[in-house]
Formats: sequence, structure tokens, C-alpha cells
Amino acid sequence: MVDMPAQNPQRIVLPPHRERARRPRIVRFREWARRNLFNSRAGTALTIITAAILALIVYGVVYFVFVDANWRVITENRWLLFAGGYPMDQEWRLWFSVMFVFLLIGLTYGTWASLGRRDHLFIVLASGFAILLLAHGGAAIWSTIWYLIAVGLLYAGYAIMIRMPRDASRGRTLQQRSVAGLLVAALPIVLIVLLAFGGARPRELEGFVLNLVLAPVGIAGGLIIAIPLALGRASRMRAISWTCTTYIEVVRGAPLLGWLFVALFILDDVIGGELIVRAMVVLAVFTAAYMAEYIRGALQALPHGQSEAAHAVGLNQFQSMQLIVMPQALRISIPPMVGQAISIWKDTTLVTVILPLRELKGNADSAIAQFEFTPDRIEAYVFVAVVFWVVAFIMSRISQRVEGSLGIGER
Amino acid sequence: MTTETEATPTRDLESMDDIIIAENVDKWFGDFQALDNISMRIKEHEIVVVLGPSGSGKSTFIRCLNRLEEHDAGRIVIDGIEMNDDVRNLNAIRSEVGMVFQQFNLFPHLSVMNNITLGPRKVRRMPKLDADALAMQLLERVGIPEQAEKYPAQLSGGQQQRVAIARALAMQPKIMLFDEPTSALDPEMIKEVLDVMQELARSGMTMIVVTHEMGFAREVADRLIFFDEGSLVEEGTPQHFFENPQEDRTKLFLSQIL
Repeated sequence: MVDMPAQNPQRIVLPPHRERARRPRIVRFREWARRNLFNSRAGTALTIITAAILALIVYGVVYFVFVDANWRVITENRWLLFAGGYPMDQEWRLWFSVMFVFLLIGLTYGTWASLGRRDHLFIVLASGFAILLLAHGGAAIWSTIWYLIAVGLLYAGYAIMIRMPRDASRGRTLQQRSVAGLLVAALPIVLIVLLAFGGARPRELEGFVLNLVLAPVGIAGGLIIAIPLALGRASRMRAISWTCTTYIEVVRGAPLLGWLFVALFILDDVIGGELIVRAMVVLAVFTAAYMAEYIRGALQALPHGQSEAAHAVGLNQFQSMQLIVMPQALRISIPPMVGQAISIWKDTTLVTVILPLRELKGNADSAIAQFEFTPDRIEAYVFVAVVFWVVAFIMSRISQRVEGSLGIGER
Repeated sequence: MTTETEATPTRDLESMDDIIIAENVDKWFGDFQALDNISMRIKEHEIVVVLGPSGSGKSTFIRCLNRLEEHDAGRIVIDGIEMNDDVRNLNAIRSEVGMVFQQFNLFPHLSVMNNITLGPRKVRRMPKLDADALAMQLLERVGIPEQAEKYPAQLSGGQQQRVAIARALAMQPKIMLFDEPTSALDPEMIKEVLDVMQELARSGMTMIVVTHEMGFAREVADRLIFFDEGSLVEEGTPQHFFENPQEDRTKLFLSQIL
């Protein structure tokens, strides 16, 4: 394609691809379009049809968001969607928890990953969405302040952690241990802040806050149950292995909705008490069955030489599991585990169907039940969907980065 | 029942005690007999090289010596400790027997330093500072002190295997088992590992080495043992083996690999 300017001896002849790269962007774009979009008659037709459909969709979305939609259903009901029945005078507890989580995200990034340009953009946008939309009662000035504090904390945590040396020194180990410990302790800390010492009663956890509490409890609880379950299933002792296999098969065999019915009607006699506790138990038990299978898969993928080497240096069975096998197996199983976590995050909405627990989607129902907002149900549900998507996306994004940086030393 | 056969050469090692005693050891994998009535005594400070075609049971035999495989019949005694189902005996034996694997089997999620210090700290309850000092000393002995903070995947094969040797030595074992330590290495890295092993041999370590490195066997070994189809076919000094092998199977094997 490149005409060789042989008559001009002063011009350096570049290889074809370099030659192409030297030409102005518009020319290159035109060529790219010709090659990829209009390379044949059928290709041209497809391009035009696709473009038309895309344009229609974009037009529809823009028109809905900026012209047609009545977002007052969201702005008027912000507190209802965010925290619902949570006592308004205890609001600081919610914000304290949110700030704590942002600080933790910063610490985690600073310890195990470094922020690239796309991460900065992502953080600013995602936290902006999370805070601005959920800040209470429309006081824009306060929302902005909260937003700035949250992002500031995130970056402060990141800045402190990223300065630690990245080699395998003692300080680094200590740093990783403390951040990991903080991550483990985060959930109990948040629950204590929300509920204890004159905080809300458990049944007053509502709206988005309820989703944010239920999902981590389900995920963390599931993981705690899943590890012994996976080991049990892989055990050579028949009774243990059968028990664990039965657990996994039975729990996976019925839909989560069914188990929530069980929580509502049957668990009353067993654990009784708060509905929210029953929902937490069901979520954890359900998640555990899936996670156990991912861990078992990872255990099988691990080379046998690892536990042999552990035994050869004198570690006993338990130490070999704890120090050599499990850390590697858990790392291998991060991707499917995150998938499961995102799935259980979205499944927290099911709670609203069965139990009189009012999470985000449930409170969105309440919002559109008000006479004034009955025509605005699409707005309400679109909002709920976007909120769920944003959180799921945050989870996926952070886990990708952490996974990447844990790859150090992978075989 | 003793197995001091006439093939056992006379050496100045004769005065030493037997540190490894194996008597009539059998090992089955399902229907396949991997070890058939193996008897052998190895003295302290002795360097034994085990030869044999693949599938001959040589690896299985040394894996029985720290119970990565359980023998089905016969008796194994390591430094006076009977190998049986008693966990305390097993732990005692494993902390006296170091092992180096063909595939290195370093722990990929731990730094070189932590790979080496793990055993001493968790099994011997050695304080971290002491363990670190020991690890540095061992890394210097195997010639790579500058790699201490790296992860196994960042090292070459030869360096990884040297770390694996240091890791085994960190438990201060009396016996070192080498299961084809150079077979997974690129040719240019074999020498650096053999050099370390040679140095170890000179220091008086009791070593059992499964290898195809005939140069090493000829130079370093006190005794060569030839396995075939699960049986111990022939044993003797390097001189005996390379100049005057008796059994046909030994001759055939040596003609194939020399």
C-alpha cells in the first residue's frame, strides 16, 4: 500500500507499518474504517444497521435520563432508599462506617496494588456516585463535604501504604498483616458501630444499608464455612466426606429463594429471634456451598509436590494446610469467589420478597407506592439497578487489581 | 536379618554406625510392585548414588525413607528411629531427613527467605532473627545471598534448586535425599547445583542421590546402587561399577547412558 519514494534519496524508507503510523490521524482513521467497517458490501450494510440501532439506543437513554424521567422519586426518597427506618439522629454511625470503608479501600490498594490513571478516574466517579446519590436529604453542601472527606481518606490511606517498601522485608510483612487484620475486623467493627451502644436495633437496618450489611456477612460467613467444608469433602474419611458432599449438594440443589422461605417459616423454631439474623445465616450457608466447591477445585489444581515439600521440611498435616496449601488454593480461587460474591450481592434483593426486611429494592417499592410517585416506577428501578451495578463493578475492579498484585511469585 | 552382602566394599566408613537400615522393604501401587524385598544399610557420612532406568523404583525407595510413600512390608530404621505409624517417630525422622525434589517444589507464595526459614521457625520454634541469620548463612553457602528477598518464580531453575537445598539444610538434617535434583534443569545450570552438592558431600553429610549424572556418581559417590524393576540388582564402588559391572542388566543400563 505504501508507495516507495525511491526518487527522493533523502527520505528514510521505513518498514510499512512505521510508514503508516507517520501519516496524520485522520488518514489513519479513514483507513481503519475502510478496513474494519466498510470492507465489503455486506460489511457496509451491517455497519449502517448497527450504527442506526446504537443511535436509537443512545437517543432513548439520553432522552429518558435528561428529559422524560422524573428523578424526584429518587431525590425525595433519598433517605428512605439509603437507610429507611434507621434512626435519623444516629446518622453519624452510617457515615462513620462509610468513611471507614473508604479508608480501608485506600489501605488495601496501597498495600497490594498501585493506582493507575484509570483507577483514579474510577475512584472519583464511583465514590462520587456512591456518596452524592446516597447522602441524606438533599443538602448538597453536606454531600460534597462527605464526598471530599471520603475520597480524601481513601487517598490518605493509599498514600501512607504505598510509601512502604515493596520488598519482602519485615516491615512489609507487618504492613500486610495489619491491613489484612483490619479487613477481617472491618465487618464486626461496622456492625458494632451501626448497632451497639445506643445504635439502631437490628430490624431498623433498612434500604441500601441493609444490602451493604447482608452481602458482606453472607460472603465472609460463607468463606468461613466453606474452608472446612472443602477440606471435609476432600477428606479420606468417608463419614466426613459424605457429610460435606451432602451439605453441598442439598444446599446447591434448591434456589436461594427456597432457603429464604425456610428461614422465614422453619428457622424460627431453630434460631428464632431477629429476621435479619436468619437471613444472614441463610445467605452464609448458601454461599458456603458454592465457595467450598471453588476451593476444592483449587486444592485439586495445586501440584502435589507442595504438600510433599511441606512434609519434607517437617511441617505436620495442619501446618502444611495452613501455611502452604490453603494460601495458594485461596489465591487460585479468587476469580470464581468474586463471581460468587457479586452474585450474592445481587441476591440480597431476594430478601425483600420473603422476609419483611426492607432492603434497597424493597424500599424502592415503597417509594413508588406513594401516590405522588406511582408513574415513576421505571426511574426507581433504573436507579436501583445502577446502584447494584456500581457496587458490583467496584468489587470486580478491586479484586482484579488485588489479584494482579498477588500474582507476585506465582509459578 | 542383615544384608551386608559381599558386594559392599571395604572403606574407612566401615567404623561408622549404620544411619539408615532398610530390611526387606516391599511397596505396592495397587497391583504393581514398585519395591521388591529391598535391603540396604547406609553408614553415617556415606554418599550413595542410586541408578536405574525410569520406573525402576529408585525414587520410590528414597521417598520411603522420609515416608512420602508408606512401605507395605519390611522395616526401615533411620538413625535408630523405627519408621512406623507413630506420628512422633515420623516427625523425628522428617526433621532429620532433608529432601530435594526434581521439580524443586519451592513454595511460590513465599519469598526465598521465608521458604528457608519456614521449617526452622514452625517446627523447631526458632526465633525469627536466628532463623533469618541461619537462612542468610545457607544462602551464602549455596552462593545466592543476593536473592533472599525474591520470590521463587523470579529465579532461574538452578537458583531455585539451590534455594531448595538451602531450605532442606535449614532443618539441620543428618541425612539429605536428592530425587533427580538436576533432571528438570537446563544443561547450563546443572553444574551450579552439582557444585553445591559436591561441597555438601565434602562437609560430611550423609547423602542418597538419585541421578543420571555419571560424572557426579564417579567422582563423589562412596557407593553406587543399581535398581531395576523394583529390585536392588547390584551395588559397589564407582570403580567396580564403571570398570567391572557383574550383572547383565547393569551392563546394559550403563551402555545406554554412558
